[in-house]
Amino acid sequence: MKQGLLAGAVWCGLLLMPPAVEGHHGYSAFDTKSEVTFEATVTEFHFTNPHSVLEFEVKQEGQVQKWQVEMGSRRQLTLHGWTATTIEAGSKLTITGYKAKNGSRAMWATKLLGADGKEIRITREN
Amino acid sequence: MSCTMRFFHASSMIGILFSAAAFGQTPVPEAGLPVTDAVTVAKCGTCHARDKAGNMERISLQRTTPEGWQDVVKRMIVIHGASLSPVEARSIVKYLSTFHGLTPEEARPVMYEAERRIREETIPNENVRKTCAQCHSVARALSWRRSQEEWKQFTEAHAQRYKFAVKEEVTTFLTKAAPLLTPEWTAWNKRNAAENAEGRWLVTASLPGRGKYTGELHVEPAGGDEFTTSLRLTSVRDGSSIVRSGRSAVYGGYAWRGRSKGDKAPVTADDPSSETREVMWIAPDQQMAEGRWYWGQYQEFGFDVQLRRPGREPTLLLTEPTALKVGVKSARVRLMGDSFPLEGNPDFGPGVAVQRIISRTASEVVAEVDVAADAASGRRDVVLRGSRLAGALAIYDRIDYVMLTPESAMAAFSDREHPRGYQQFEAIGYQRGADGKAMTADDVSLGPVDATWWVEVFYALPGSDPETVGRMTASGLFVPATHNPDANFDIWVVATARAETDRNGKPLTAKAYLVVTVPSYVFNGRRFVRDLDRWVDNGPATDPK
Repeated sequence: MKQGLLAGAVWCGLLLMPPAVEGHHGYSAFDTKSEVTFEATVTEFHFTNPHSVLEFEVKQEGQVQKWQVEMGSRRQLTLHGWTATTIEAGSKLTITGYKAKNGSRAMWATKLLGADGKEIRITREN
Repeated sequence: MSCTMRFFHASSMIGILFSAAAFGQTPVPEAGLPVTDAVTVAKCGTCHARDKAGNMERISLQRTTPEGWQDVVKRMIVIHGASLSPVEARSIVKYLSTFHGLTPEEARPVMYEAERRIREETIPNENVRKTCAQCHSVARALSWRRSQEEWKQFTEAHAQRYKFAVKEEVTTFLTKAAPLLTPEWTAWNKRNAAENAEGRWLVTASLPGRGKYTGELHVEPAGGDEFTTSLRLTSVRDGSSIVRSGRSAVYGGYAWRGRSKGDKAPVTADDPSSETREVMWIAPDQQMAEGRWYWGQYQEFGFDVQLRRPGREPTLLLTEPTALKVGVKSARVRLMGDSFPLEGNPDFGPGVAVQRIISRTASEVVAEVDVAADAASGRRDVVLRGSRLAGALAIYDRIDYVMLTPESAMAAFSDREHPRGYQQFEAIGYQRGADGKAMTADDVSLGPVDATWWVEVFYALPGSDPETVGRMTASGLFVPATHNPDANFDIWVVATARAETDRNGKPLTAKAYLVVTVPSYVFNGRRFVRDLDRWVDNGPATDPK
């Protein structure tokens, strides 16, 4: 029975992940002292837990680089009207956020602008 | 991804709140539930005083599931030093689960808690999220029914024990959503039904990664509400058989709790011969039962099980395959069930023509069918001599996209005390549905597709080696590395359909988000030990960074 007890709290603790980015890798995994901005073309949008993720391409010095940007959980984004089709592959976005400290091409989103220049609201609970 | 949300939400919190609200609409003056069991009175009465009406302090003011009462009894033994033999403890749990339990209608929306299913819940409000759902599912809270005063006392004691502040709004919500007494409870408690689980049941089961099974379960009385069980399951995919035997109890005529195991020793962690804990809900008419038989360190493996009582009329249980492409010729479709007639063709609906019956027994018909090129896409019923299986067959023109289930999950490395935590994935094909748009509510699930699997580490904590995270098997099982790197990884589990491509001829690929973690980890300033059902307070709630 001891074994039978663990899943509920553990999994709910992750899937309902309280503050947005704690646990597996914290908000501290990103360099919050400096923001970067990319003109991005979305390749995939994952509307999921514990973080939703946008995969995108940017042109840097003539080269196409693949990046991904993390945002809040599906629950958090849903509160702001997001659905699985809010962002579609091929969308042009201006993405601002904090780069990962570990040097990977990953970032945490602080601001999204659509192709029309309008802000697409995201959650920030940190 | 909206598709999976659909599955989860339909049966989770919305259902719970709907039923809870319905119960809450007809308030009844609160009273206790008298305790009439001699063992419970003798063993619990030393601390819980019993009044003239038979009401015992605390005990008479709450109702819950067998798991809830098991937790209570364990807590009384471990924390409060109650002296109980295993026989006495079992007797008390059995009595309270039967006479101080939930009605079947109350239990059904929260069965996923007892079945150890991972569900994404819709949290009723922010305070409930902060108070309840940070540590456990809301379904756990709603697996209880308490009087107003008992909810107040419980939330205050819980808050003191786990060091959080509880808002009055939460207590008010729980009191209204999960009251002790309702007319429905009173009616059910006075029932005079002759419930009996014994006899023959038809079984369909599904095991992620291994597909569907059919079989027969034989239930024999073993005294009181207890039974012995014997089961032969046959894999629809490869014809292999599993023989299982076990023992179960049925509380309140509907709450099946048991254990069974295969006749062969399990070879791998995901071996379907493994010993399982059985949790099922038997319908009030006693003609159907459903639930999950699970195992694994984190209950990550499990059969989804449905039982049906056989009748004299044909009973159609399964078709295989469950999806056919338009224009296909001479496709073989197996229909599995019970009491099938010796003549007559199955009806697959317009555009699907039965060319001939290849074989026929009382439990299986194999038909050869042609699907017209202009057959309408979508799910359709299959009918065999009056037995209709709703939505049993999908017709599709192409697979538009693939999604992985679960979409997000967690696996764990092992240490000296904890076995590894695995995660089984499936790649599910979808057709875009009648609206012509993918990722919308009318998309048609075509079931699991054969896929190739791999992992991509997209975030590893500094100092960790991404090569040490683990591997995917050919059947979509993530196996964590044997060595615990004492670090967490965020990885993509990626699958590409082997035989199908999208409309542009490109590979159909999907990703799931998997966190691979250590057996215990820290967040929000508290250490969470994965194999205990609680937070172990590690000081004030501060961000560990």
